[in-house]
Amino acid sequence: MKKTVFKLSVIAAAVFSTGLATAATPDEIIDSSFYPYKKGVPTHPVVKPGAVINKSNVDSAKDVLDPAMYQVIKNGDYEITVGATTSFDLHKNYIDATRAGIGKVKLGEKNGQIIGYVAGRAFPEEPDLKDPRAGEKLAWNYKYGINWGDSAMISPFYWKYRKMDTGKIETVNKFGFHFLNYKHRVVIPPVPDITPNPSNLFRAIYVKVYEPLDIKDTQLLIQRYDDDLKQDDANLYLGFQRRVRRLATGQITDSFLGSDLMIEDFEGYNGRVSDMKWSYKGATTILMAYYNHNDQKQLSTEFKEKDGYQYVEFGGKGGCYPLVTWQLRKVYVLEAVPTDPNHPISKRVYYMDTQAATLSRTLIYDRKGELWKSFTIGKSHPDHHLPVNKGTGISIDDAFSMVDLQSKHCTTGQFRGEVSKEASPPSLFTVQNMRGAN
Amino acid sequence: MQKHYSFRLKPLAAATSAALLVGFGTGAVRAADNLPDMGSSGGQDWRVDTFYENDTRHRKDTGLSKFRNTIQVEADKDFGGNGTFSSIKLRTKFRGTYDGVYKLNDDEYGKNAGGAVTIENISGPLLPPLPTNAGTPLNLANVPHGGGINNPIATALGLPPDNNFGFNLVTNPNSGLKVLGSDLHKTKGGVAFGVPQAPCDYDSRGCIKDYMDANSHELASPEFNDRLDFIREAFVVAKMPMADGRSWNFQLGKQQVVWGRTDLFRVLDVINPVDYSRNNIYDELQDIRIPMWIFTAEYRMGATETFDDTNIQLVWNFDKFRPNNLGQGGTPNQILGAGDFFRGMKNLWDNGGTVANFALASPTFGVATDFGPNQIGIRKAHMPEWSLANTQVGIKWEGVYQGTGFSLNALTFRSQLPSLRNLYSKGVPNVNPFTSSGPFLLAPGQTAQIYPYNIAFDIYFPRVNLIGGSMDMQLDSIKSSLRLETALTKGEEFANTAKPGLYSESKVWRYVIGLDRPTFIPFLNETRAFLLSGQIFGQHLLDHEEYRGPWGKYGMPDHEHNHIATFLMKGWYQNDRVSPQIIMAHDFEAGSSVAAPSLEWLFSDNLKITVGANYKFGDGAQKWNDARDGNPFPPFSGGQNGRPGTVQGMAGLTGYEPLGRFRAGPIGMANKEDEVFVTVRYKF
Repeated sequence: MKKTVFKLSVIAAAVFSTGLATAATPDEIIDSSFYPYKKGVPTHPVVKPGAVINKSNVDSAKDVLDPAMYQVIKNGDYEITVGATTSFDLHKNYIDATRAGIGKVKLGEKNGQIIGYVAGRAFPEEPDLKDPRAGEKLAWNYKYGINWGDSAMISPFYWKYRKMDTGKIETVNKFGFHFLNYKHRVVIPPVPDITPNPSNLFRAIYVKVYEPLDIKDTQLLIQRYDDDLKQDDANLYLGFQRRVRRLATGQITDSFLGSDLMIEDFEGYNGRVSDMKWSYKGATTILMAYYNHNDQKQLSTEFKEKDGYQYVEFGGKGGCYPLVTWQLRKVYVLEAVPTDPNHPISKRVYYMDTQAATLSRTLIYDRKGELWKSFTIGKSHPDHHLPVNKGTGISIDDAFSMVDLQSKHCTTGQFRGEVSKEASPPSLFTVQNMRGAN
Repeated sequence: MQKHYSFRLKPLAAATSAALLVGFGTGAVRAADNLPDMGSSGGQDWRVDTFYENDTRHRKDTGLSKFRNTIQVEADKDFGGNGTFSSIKLRTKFRGTYDGVYKLNDDEYGKNAGGAVTIENISGPLLPPLPTNAGTPLNLANVPHGGGINNPIATALGLPPDNNFGFNLVTNPNSGLKVLGSDLHKTKGGVAFGVPQAPCDYDSRGCIKDYMDANSHELASPEFNDRLDFIREAFVVAKMPMADGRSWNFQLGKQQVVWGRTDLFRVLDVINPVDYSRNNIYDELQDIRIPMWIFTAEYRMGATETFDDTNIQLVWNFDKFRPNNLGQGGTPNQILGAGDFFRGMKNLWDNGGTVANFALASPTFGVATDFGPNQIGIRKAHMPEWSLANTQVGIKWEGVYQGTGFSLNALTFRSQLPSLRNLYSKGVPNVNPFTSSGPFLLAPGQTAQIYPYNIAFDIYFPRVNLIGGSMDMQLDSIKSSLRLETALTKGEEFANTAKPGLYSESKVWRYVIGLDRPTFIPFLNETRAFLLSGQIFGQHLLDHEEYRGPWGKYGMPDHEHNHIATFLMKGWYQNDRVSPQIIMAHDFEAGSSVAAPSLEWLFSDNLKITVGANYKFGDGAQKWNDARDGNPFPPFSGGQNGRPGTVQGMAGLTGYEPLGRFRAGPIGMANKEDEVFVTVRYKF
């Protein structure tokens, strides 16, 4: 595995080498962090746009696959169609905020403390393997990443629970997910903060279940504080009880409504920086599910939308894998080990897209240290998705696949995501809203 | 009579016209201008969910206890916004039920329920074989209904010849009856009488008008009544944003309004009455709350400089009063056995009846007595009519401060539980069984014959005022969440045999402390945590009265201080498709417990099957002063224990019935109602 992880393709190394200069100027830092493909895209003798990577040729692409995906393809469970590497440019305001903060942000004494951060990417400099806290810095880049932006909605959001061996779909859940940043906002007014904000919240996620009947009207509200050392608040409204229950910490790391995800898995990682011990393991280039949604040849016709929007189709073994194109992208390999010895996993290994700072490929290891789950988040370029997303500079979460490799079970997600102020007002992210959201 | 445990047991384990609200439009702004709402732009299609459910239960001693078939249709519509409201939504739920148990097990719960009964007569064998109305001699240890002391016997015993003992066996025959409490305990020297069992269209005896008078159709299909209960919910939700970012949220219609943060117990969750007849305390509250026509106005202030979130809610329950449905006599689900008790008492008032061990009662003596009509029992229920003064109003301030959720609540409402005030307390006369005349029985100034301590009652639903609050917070150090809920009420009434009116008022303090903790138990499941949830419920009667007489305690049967502990353990397997759980509860003072294991299997998104049981164990029935010793008709009914015949008040004579039920609590009173069940729910 290490051999694969640490091996940079020759081209990619050349492309990125300028970003590694010790005395990089702000422009060089910005270019390296946000425009990694400005001077060229990664290439590979086999993994070329249009190529199909399957079990017959996967060995020749092993150096650009994470070990779990390599094995999946090797097993014949999935084939990857390669797309061209494209730049997912982030919003100018986010980049400008990053530029303004260069050299002003530093880590505090403890894991989970940050000093001098205002907005944008906290640590845009190229991580250094010799820096023992490089992983922590990347974690901050993710926490304060543009992710879904200041305000967004995924609705509808279909989750399917599937048996891999038979392909049987056990459950179809229909959700609405809403995201709101209270602080460090860069695009949607008010900027930079929503006030008043007496508890200094950083971000909130609100989830509502529309189907199936069994869990209809269940709602979840997660509130994250800007002070990373402060425990998240999570409240669950159970439709059948018509009451909001405060969730104990442990429920964040338990299966969410029977899916293969825990709340902590949302968006790749949905927890505090201080909940993990982060280790940077190096940079590499691998295939990642980044694509243009509207250009995908095979989209699902199962769920009808009035505007004709079509969801990502799934296929492969058990229907567990998104039928989208993958492209070669530069990633940081980041390992997160829970600080809680009772955590149900031993570690996550993230493949963090360097440009978007998102956690699009995750390998999850059980308490025994064995590979347990393989998590893929498919990202669409915003300019090739719903019209509302055009120009937002946000890589749109468009599909996910969480495969439990041990129990041969998976949960897949099909998104209709919109970067939108209107769909996620602050009033939505309150406990009281859950009580009255009939 | 007041039932005091607002308790149910199955947890874990959803308006009329928006035009009425338009008047609030002043100062409102368009949603799109400020705080738009989901789906406010143009409305959405109707969303309709329909499911069928069969719930079949088998009870240990009585066989089939439920064969309930339910169709529920949930139809929701979001209309979008207009110039005043950012969103207007209609939420409806329609439910129709048919419980076949009244046909399939009609020997127990239907038209053939009950039979001829015998009533205990512990001192009968000491008496001569005097003939009774039933045609049997009095000197039996158990006499048939109608086989107690009648007019001739009373006369022979030296009472005035114009005594009113005895009743008409034609209008109140010894058929279709069950001895009060006989499912749970033997009479053992206490009080007992026959209780009619068949639905009121087959046997009208003991049916209480407008309160407990359901016929067989209304029992089998309770939603189809004059209150249109098949409309479980129909209300409009309208949200009106304000220019300052705050908003009003209005809800108008038939609905459930839920307060509080705890499971199982109704400390603050008392706005809607509850239907215990559906499945005692074992159904989800959502399914047994009785929706009422309610208007709520909620001013949502959102975050302020101090609070993360804060809002004020005004609740106006303008519906005509409805009490809790405690279950009718003769039906399978009666909380505290209240239905049988009330029905038997009503029958005693209307028709008279034989009461066990009543005459000359002492701990070792008692003779079955045939009371005539209008002497003892329940005369009527005073159901509050609709009037503005009878509507119910509440206010709640709720918010989040430093991550801690809180609420402060106040409510003025009509007690949903009945209070039995004896007729003396209301100045209502009743027939003296000992004589048809006798001015010596009247106290100076009395204009009618009213008798303190007499067990003749009317049912009232007194007004109760409640203040309370709740909190929840995370306890990160023990990876748990803590829930607190408390309420203090004023105006609740309780049975109290120390009072001439046989009831008194007490302030009541109730609280629940709950702790939830998801916990991995690796040897049971390596990948999914179990939810462990424990709660302790406390109830304290602040004006409790209890005295010790020569024969035992008397006063208020309810425990002055009591606690009930509950524990839930729930697990999930196969991606939550299989979920076993066990709920346990223990009533400390009653010494009674219940364990309710169940297994839920989600076969598909459309089909769910649940199998389970509930098993009660512990002390079961309890005894308390039964008011045979109050001497309401001096000098005839006095003289016990060597007291002068003119002395009134209790000496502490005890029995299981009728007040022991408050000592036993809802778990103890259901001690013999162990059940197994299968529930199948199919969504169309």
